[in-house]
Amino acid sequence: MHNPEHKQNLEHRLVRCFSSVFPDLDEEQIRSASIESVPGWHSLASVTLISVVQEEFGVQVSLTDLPNLVSFSAVQNYVRHHIAS
Amino acid sequence: MKLIDALAVIRRPLPKDAPLLRVSLACGFTPLHLQTFLAAALRERPPLERIEVTTGLFGDLAGNIENIQPAACDVLVAIIEWQDLDLRLGVRNLGGWRVAQLPDIVKSARRMLVRLEKAILTAAASLPTYISLPTLPLPPLFTTPSQQASACELELRQAVSSFAASLATQSRLRILSASHLDEISPPSNRFDLQSELSAGFPYGLSHASAVAELLASLIRNSSAKKGLITDLDDTLWSGILGENGVDGISWHLDQKAPIHGLYQQFLASLASAGILTAVASKNDTALVQQAFERDDLLIDKQSLYPIDVHWGPKSESVRRILKTWNVAADSVVFIDDSPMELAEVKAVFPDMECLVFPKTDYQAFWQLLRRLRDTFGKTIVSEEDSIRLESIRAAAALHNSSNGEGTSPDSFLQDVQANVTISFGKEKEDHRAFELVNKTNQFNLNGKRLTESSWMAYLNDPATFVMTVSYDDKYGALGKIAVLLGRMQGKAAAIDSWVMSCRAFSRRIEHQCLSWLFENFSLQEITFAYQPTDRNKPLQDFLASMTTTPLSSDVRVSRADFSEKCPPLFHQAKATVNA
Repeated sequence: MHNPEHKQNLEHRLVRCFSSVFPDLDEEQIRSASIESVPGWHSLASVTLISVVQEEFGVQVSLTDLPNLVSFSAVQNYVRHHIAS
Repeated sequence: MKLIDALAVIRRPLPKDAPLLRVSLACGFTPLHLQTFLAAALRERPPLERIEVTTGLFGDLAGNIENIQPAACDVLVAIIEWQDLDLRLGVRNLGGWRVAQLPDIVKSARRMLVRLEKAILTAAASLPTYISLPTLPLPPLFTTPSQQASACELELRQAVSSFAASLATQSRLRILSASHLDEISPPSNRFDLQSELSAGFPYGLSHASAVAELLASLIRNSSAKKGLITDLDDTLWSGILGENGVDGISWHLDQKAPIHGLYQQFLASLASAGILTAVASKNDTALVQQAFERDDLLIDKQSLYPIDVHWGPKSESVRRILKTWNVAADSVVFIDDSPMELAEVKAVFPDMECLVFPKTDYQAFWQLLRRLRDTFGKTIVSEEDSIRLESIRAAAALHNSSNGEGTSPDSFLQDVQANVTISFGKEKEDHRAFELVNKTNQFNLNGKRLTESSWMAYLNDPATFVMTVSYDDKYGALGKIAVLLGRMQGKAAAIDSWVMSCRAFSRRIEHQCLSWLFENFSLQEITFAYQPTDRNKPLQDFLASMTTTPLSSDVRVSRADFSEKCPPLFHQAKATVNA
C-alpha cells in the first residue's frame, strides 16, 4: 500500500464513495471533509457512507471503530490500514 | 446493484414533467438501504417516473400497514421479517429463548399474522400491494441442531405459508417468490448482525439489493408475450418425420426423448393459460396430419393454431401465423432446433425473440423452460384466456365466410347472430379490462398505458366510468374485447381511453359502443382524447369515418354526424348499468 499509484487509486475510489453520499461537495471539499465541516454529515449519512466504503473496499468496519471515522482522512487511513492487513 | 450505484441512480436528473410514483414501504426495521435500492431499481425500469419512497415507524409493521392512507400513495410494499411476528424472533430484544417460551412465540406469531392479513387485505382493497415474506434465517432459538428442523420452526413456517397462500388468491396482491429470491440471494449471506444491532437494518447490502430488484420487477410487471411458434422435427418431437415416419418420432423417457415430452407438456400448459401456440414446419402436410393423430401426444392438436406446414422459408409461415393471430412480431417467440432456421426468421422479423431448442443439452433445455415461463408468465388466467384460441379460429372462419362471393357485408353480419354485452360500471376485480388497456395496440385511442396504481385511481375517481364490452356470435364467443374509460359531462361524454381487441374487428362493435352511449345517455356529443401512435391506424380510420373534420387531439363526434355515418347494426345489445 506504499505504492503511490495504489494510494492514488484508493484515494480516487474513496472520493467517489464520499461523492455518492455528499453529492454537493466537490473533490477538494471531500478531501478536507469532516463531520464538523459538512452540514449533511449526520448519523444516517454516516451509516450510508460506511456501508458504501465497506462494499467498495471489501472491509468490515467494527462497531468500536465507527465513532472514529469522522473525516475523509480518518476513513482513508482506516481503509489503507485494513486493506494492507 | 451496488449501493454506490443505487445512490447515483436515484440522483439522476429527471424531466420536470416526469410523473410521480409514491411507494409506501412498510417494514418493522429501519428501511435504510432497502429504501435506496428500491427507489433505484424502480428508476431503472420503465416508465420513467420520479420515485418517492415513504416509510413508517420503526418496530411497528402492522401499525404501519394499518395507517396507510390510500390517497397518499400509489403502491404499498410490505416487508415482513420474523421479528415482526414476535420480537423474540429478532436479536434486538432480549425477551428470552427458553424452551418453555417457544410455544408462546408460535402462538403470538400466529396472532400477528391474523392482524397483518386483515391490515394487508384492507390496504389491498385500494392499492396494488406487494409482500415480501420473511427472508432472513430464524435465530438459533430452537433446541434442535441446525440440520434438524424443530417442530416449532415448522409450525412458524406453516403459519407463514398459510397466511401467504390465503393472500395470494387476491388479484391485487403479489407475493415475492421465496424460491426465486433463494437463487439470487444465498440465504447464508442475507443477515448482517452488526448492521442490525448498530443501525436496526438487518439486511446485508447484496440481499437488500436482491429484494429490491425483485420487488421492482413485480411492481413494474412488464407485459407478457402473447404467442409461441414452434418447429416440429427434433423440437416438438424427437426425430425427422419424413425419415423416421409417424411411428418413428418420439417424446417419451423410454425412447430416450423425454425433453420433447416435457416440451409438449409445457406448451399445453401455456396454451391452457391463453398463450397462442402455433407450428411452423418444413414438412409433408399429410404426414404431419397423421402425426397429430397419435393419441399419446401430450399437447392437443386443437391447442396449436395455425399449423403451417410447407417446404418454403419458415419466415413465410411465421408471417401467416402473425396475420392469423393479428399480433406483432415482438409479442412472439419462435423456437426451432436449427440455428439456420432461427437466423432466417430473425432476419425477416428482427423484433421476434428466436430461441434454439437445445435437443441434446438437458440443462439448457431446463433453462429454456424457465425462461419461457417468465416470458409468458401471467398473474391471473382469465375467462378470456381460455377462449382466446377459439375466438381466433372463429375470426378466421368469419373472415373466410365474409369473403364468399355474392355476400354483402350487411347480409353477412345480419346472419352471424351477434350479441354485444355491455357492462357500464366499475368492477375492481376486472383484471381483463386492465389487461386490455395495457395490451391493445391497433384499436387504441391514444396508446396510453396505465400502471396498476393509476388504474385503481381511475376506478376510485367518482367522476369516471368504465364500460366493457363482450361479444359472441354463431362462430363462438370472443369474451370481453373492448374497454372505454371516460367521464359524463352533461349531454356529452369524454372518452379518455378506448381499446378493442383486434380479434373483434369487422363486426361493427365499435359502432355499437358509440350507438349505445348516445342512446342510453341521450348524449349530443362524444369527445375523444385521441393521439396517433405508430400502430393505431385502425382506430384512426374509424374516427376519421365518423367525423367531418381532420383528426386532432380533441376529436368530437356529434349525435347528428354519428346517426348519418353509422352503418346498419345487427347485434343484439344487452347492457348492465351499475351505479
